[in-house]
Amino acid sequence: MKRVIATAAAICVAGVVLVAQEGGGARQAPRATNAPPKPTGTTPRTPDGHPDLTGVWNGLGDNLNGVPNQIANNGIAIESASVARDLHSAQLVTVFPRLSNRPQNNEEAERAAALLRRSGSNRPIYKPEYWDMVKYNDHNANEEDPSNNCMPAGVPRAGIPSYIAQFPNYVVFIYPGQGGLIATQTMYRMIPTDGRKHTPLQELDGSYTGESIARWEGDTLVVDAWGFNANTWFDQIGGYMHGENMHVVERFHRDGNTLTWTATVEDPDYLLEPWTTTPRVALLNPNPNAMLPESQPCSERDLAHIVTKEHH
Amino acid sequence: MTATIRTALLLACVSAIAVPPARGQGAADRGKVLRAAADALAMGRWSDIGTQNTRLPGIDIVNTQELIASGTTDVGGRMVKADVHVALGYNPPAMRVDITPAPEGGGAAQHVIETVRETWAWNESQVGGGLVPGKGTATPAMASLRERLLRLWMLPFGVVKAAYAAGDKTVVSAEGGATVITAPLSGPLAGMSVRATLDAKNLITKVEARADNPALANLALQTEYSDYADHAEVLTDIKTPGHIVGKRDGRTVFDLTVKSWETNNPYLVFPVPPNVKAAATTSPTSR
Repeated sequence: MKRVIATAAAICVAGVVLVAQEGGGARQAPRATNAPPKPTGTTPRTPDGHPDLTGVWNGLGDNLNGVPNQIANNGIAIESASVARDLHSAQLVTVFPRLSNRPQNNEEAERAAALLRRSGSNRPIYKPEYWDMVKYNDHNANEEDPSNNCMPAGVPRAGIPSYIAQFPNYVVFIYPGQGGLIATQTMYRMIPTDGRKHTPLQELDGSYTGESIARWEGDTLVVDAWGFNANTWFDQIGGYMHGENMHVVERFHRDGNTLTWTATVEDPDYLLEPWTTTPRVALLNPNPNAMLPESQPCSERDLAHIVTKEHH
Repeated sequence: MTATIRTALLLACVSAIAVPPARGQGAADRGKVLRAAADALAMGRWSDIGTQNTRLPGIDIVNTQELIASGTTDVGGRMVKADVHVALGYNPPAMRVDITPAPEGGGAAQHVIETVRETWAWNESQVGGGLVPGKGTATPAMASLRERLLRLWMLPFGVVKAAYAAGDKTVVSAEGGATVITAPLSGPLAGMSVRATLDAKNLITKVEARADNPALANLALQTEYSDYADHAEVLTDIKTPGHIVGKRDGRTVFDLTVKSWETNNPYLVFPVPPNVKAAATTSPTSR
């Protein structure tokens, strides 16, 4: 029997090779993992010796040059066709091979996305008096999400900027507004790296992006921000609200053509302990002539037609 | 390549796949049964984002759930009418059972909140008690650790997760015309196993906990599940029981009708109060 199976398998392999050659041999097997790409190339540096973060980064949170990074963003790494792991707890997650390659309909896709994005264990730990409110926010996110009505995503929800321009004494981050999955307004930040200190918190009017200052720790750009309003959530999911005393420290590390980002949130009014996001990795757009497209005007027209609680 | 060759190759491939292997039949059966049980509960999902370049497998998306039920339950050895609010999670394994007895003739029975997480068990005076000074208390209850964890792993989702985690130690059998999954538990529940009976739709209808160790014989519990549906307000297609009956030594210890069972991985957390962690280091069950 073993010989029969081995022979049949060899014929199958030969057939696959022939078919691939017949088709030109250019087709790649679809990826079965959501692992971030391994960095390639060298890390360019500015004249002052720091890594140069300038470029168009396809780090819009969910889509990494077509790679469905969303699960890794929320903490589940699919390492192979049979192994998945929660990055925060290291707990193994059972993998179920697909029974069908039929594309999901909208309802199936929406429910799957909502579950996938919440199945990880990396959750901010709020003080108990806020547990029900966070749950309510997430449960009713279609109405309660402050960014759903074309408002800025804020920090740290905005994640990795789509474009970074680095100058000797400041960096500029641009986050184009989006419709669809993340219906938020265009946002930008101009962040000094000249060694200045924060304005005292009491003197700041709370804003969506807060007051950000940055410094280099080795090859990592550390952006320290406070002075926020309370009109944003930590993430697209979870109902993770915060107060005006929130303090966010983001870390950007470039390695070749990849940019890794994490953010640590402190909020003594709401959180029991600081919370650190699962790292996200963005790829540099390889096209040297890459430009940011115009953002689509944000015009919320869906909410009035939503009759169930399903949401991303 | 001619159509004839292509057809021959296809037939060879199909033949190879169709011929059952002489060995490993048990593993194949186990895999099929576990997958059927998981699919019946709708535990696996995949992402279609980026489908042109990717073909991600599905993963187990069951983590946190919250159910609200009412019925009768054993409180301090007495069966009382009660509302029961359960928050649970599998990553990390944790459960908070909040029992509010209905007022009775002789006065209200005590409101209890029984919580467990991994290797810690404690009672809360209010949800989250003991985490913030001055806002409730947490009382260690390490003697209840195993029973509370067992309740979590005896839920249908817990059984399927435990069966997958146990790999080839999980046994699938046919008994009395029904399919049965038997899986050993691990961690603080090592020495225990769960035995689940599936119905014709591959839904788990009965779970029995068995102790290989006589010292754990008091944990020989049984739970029956029926009336499966998506009982959530945020619909997920995940099937949850609408009726749960728990028994110990044949005696009913709870009989609950589910009002809602949220499965959308709601925000439920189980931080361990500092005094519980400190007490656990001296508890025999933590050694």
